[in-house]
Amino acid sequence: MQESKELIDYFRDFEVNLAYYFSEKLNRLLAKPRWIFISLSHQCTYNCQMCGVVNILKDYQISTQEVKKVFDEISGWDWDFTVVITGGEPFLRRDVFEIFRYAKEKGIRVEAVSNGALIDQSMAEKIISSGLSNIAVSLDGAKEGTHDLIRENGAFRKATQAIKNLSDAKKKSGSGPQVSVWTTIMKENIGELFDIIGLSRKLGVECLVYHPVIVAHEDMQNTSPNARFWPGENDIERLTEQVCRILDYQKKNGFIAFLHNPFFWVKHFRGELTREEWKCNPFVFVNIGPDGEVRSCGASFGNMKNMSLGECLNTKEAFRSRRVMKGCLKPCLQTCWANPDADSLIGIVNSLIRQIRNSQADKITKKKILSMALAKLVFYEEMSQKCQT
Amino acid sequence: MPNLKEVIISITNRCNLRCRMCDIPCGEIDELPTSRWKDVIKDACRLGAQTVVFSGGEPLLREDIYELIFFTKENGLSACVTSNGVLIDDRVAGRLYDSGVNVVNVSVEGTKGTHDFLRGEGGFDKAIAALKELKKHKIESTVASTVSKYNYADLPYLLKLAGDNGATTVRLQPFNVIFLRDLRRRKEFLISKAEIAEVKESLRNFIELSQKHKISTNPLNYLYKIPEYLSGKEFFMQQCGALWYSCPINPNGDVFPCWVEAKNRLVGNVGEQSLYGIWLSKKRLKIIKNIMKKGCKGCLMSCYDEAFGEGYSGARVFGKIKKIKRFTDGKKIINKVRQFLKGAVIRFRLRYKFYSSYGGSWQVILKRKLCGMFGKVASGRKRIQDKSADFSSEIACLKKKIEREIHLL
Repeated sequence: MQESKELIDYFRDFEVNLAYYFSEKLNRLLAKPRWIFISLSHQCTYNCQMCGVVNILKDYQISTQEVKKVFDEISGWDWDFTVVITGGEPFLRRDVFEIFRYAKEKGIRVEAVSNGALIDQSMAEKIISSGLSNIAVSLDGAKEGTHDLIRENGAFRKATQAIKNLSDAKKKSGSGPQVSVWTTIMKENIGELFDIIGLSRKLGVECLVYHPVIVAHEDMQNTSPNARFWPGENDIERLTEQVCRILDYQKKNGFIAFLHNPFFWVKHFRGELTREEWKCNPFVFVNIGPDGEVRSCGASFGNMKNMSLGECLNTKEAFRSRRVMKGCLKPCLQTCWANPDADSLIGIVNSLIRQIRNSQADKITKKKILSMALAKLVFYEEMSQKCQT
Repeated sequence: MPNLKEVIISITNRCNLRCRMCDIPCGEIDELPTSRWKDVIKDACRLGAQTVVFSGGEPLLREDIYELIFFTKENGLSACVTSNGVLIDDRVAGRLYDSGVNVVNVSVEGTKGTHDFLRGEGGFDKAIAALKELKKHKIESTVASTVSKYNYADLPYLLKLAGDNGATTVRLQPFNVIFLRDLRRRKEFLISKAEIAEVKESLRNFIELSQKHKISTNPLNYLYKIPEYLSGKEFFMQQCGALWYSCPINPNGDVFPCWVEAKNRLVGNVGEQSLYGIWLSKKRLKIIKNIMKKGCKGCLMSCYDEAFGEGYSGARVFGKIKKIKRFTDGKKIINKVRQFLKGAVIRFRLRYKFYSSYGGSWQVILKRKLCGMFGKVASGRKRIQDKSADFSSEIACLKKKIEREIHLL
């Protein structure tokens, strides 16, 4: 019985991947987003040098009611997705725990990202019991000097203390969100990337995620290779060495979550990542800004205040914006970039077949699943032919 | 940035001759495989190059040379081979003809005595035989010669020889020190001040005869500079086109800004990166600008004669006539247009920036609007249609795969 359940899960993955694949290829809305980023406000405790987000949309705040409206809507979706609460610094908002609680009631998986400046002991206990599935704290260096140079004096001590508070609180309560660290790869901290593993292990972190720096000036895509934090040729060599060490560690111990091949970072900083290797699927993620504008990455799809999220995803502007994103020439390799293995049709089908071959289920269920997969393929084939004419 | 015009691939360091004016070690460098060179040629095509020159060492020592020439021609570029002629017999000339090579340069240094002294016994007869074979197979051949103290008197003879054996051009290039590792031997090839007049006389004869035999040579003011250069004077070329238009590549894939400035000035390696990336990289631009600023030692390598020719109005007119002649060939016009369009597309892609809608100045908003329009053009209906046609066959194949899987159960 359990085996057939497993098979159904595999089929569900297959279905989702196909939906993303054909959404992108045919430019039709066949899938719901996997990641929904909600930026509560752009206010932040720090003004980090690589991040210009504080200066944009200063006076906007998305209201609690609006966030709840989104939750009401998406809890009805028959889809596997995750909401990520970001900012600015989300814990500057007083209603953030109310938002978490509401999501918990609706049964929505929510993660949050913070810089750790405000997480003291009592706050940590509150976060642990709030029903989040993951809490990420940014840590940009293994040494105090590095992190403080990038952020602000005293930031390192606050961030490490926050992580410690969180992991202690989790130990106390026995259950709670996964405590993870997000590290931005940049020129200043390239030598310390591997050391961050040891530090975060010591602090009781459960998961570590690396992502390359974006130097945001006036918009997110405008990452400039001349910017201050962009690694030079020598730094890139050091990065390669670090990546090898990190990969070795990951093979033995796990702990680090890669969203893509880590050698892409090296290629990315050299400016050699080609469009074929880097498949940013605009249907996979959506971002709601503090002004209520919904967008994936490029231009706005529509405003949350005028229509529902589902409607926003289906506007003319949305399709135009996605088409522009397809032509994007600047890979960013951010955390929203994570794509659900929907790179190639052959890959999707092959992985299903491999899983079915390996499973212990009886032949009848296997046959049933395979014929269902076949029907799905035929469905998409007809659809693609319709799109042609 | 100007487009790439010419890729000079030193495809191997192996050589079957040991010439007096060249002591580059043979075969000490690893060679890239055929597939990598094909990628390089493809990239050169993308970058809008017109010519690929295969030099060496002796390029005909590589078994895949014919395949590479064929591939170059297939990509719409012209291919040129620089050889010493030793290996060119009936069979090789036939294979060269089949591969579609445009021009074969055969090195001849002068009379039999001079040539054999500089390049080894028996080299002269083989080179002449090679020229004859090339003529027989209707391949355009040119005679290339390195002018030095030993052979300046033989220059007029070279023209006669070229005319008799069906070569269309005689290309001269003064001796250059980059082929010598032992710099003390440099003096051996340079001329004394007293000899300058003799070289000038020889060159005057050479130019007169070239008009008589109707054989083209290097631009005249390039030739006029040879005597002074050979006496040891250094030229400071400020506007050397070679840095901008040509791309020298070593057998192991190292790309240099130029042969003379090769030392410690590696731009990249095509074994590891694509030529496309290297050529458009900031690093290359930086290196070139650095050289331009400092000024190079100066040389009279043959890749420079295009730049020299530009200063000379007669040569310029001659070049224009040549160009017009070239343009009357329909295929070449199409090629030119294609290359131009390719270059335009590349430039467009480089300039194209992707703006999001985070609030900004009106310029940003205007740019964003324009990008939106371009996005529409760039991925219009036609492209989607092409792709969907692609995956209908893919889906059919995968359907069969699943059906087979069901049968196996």
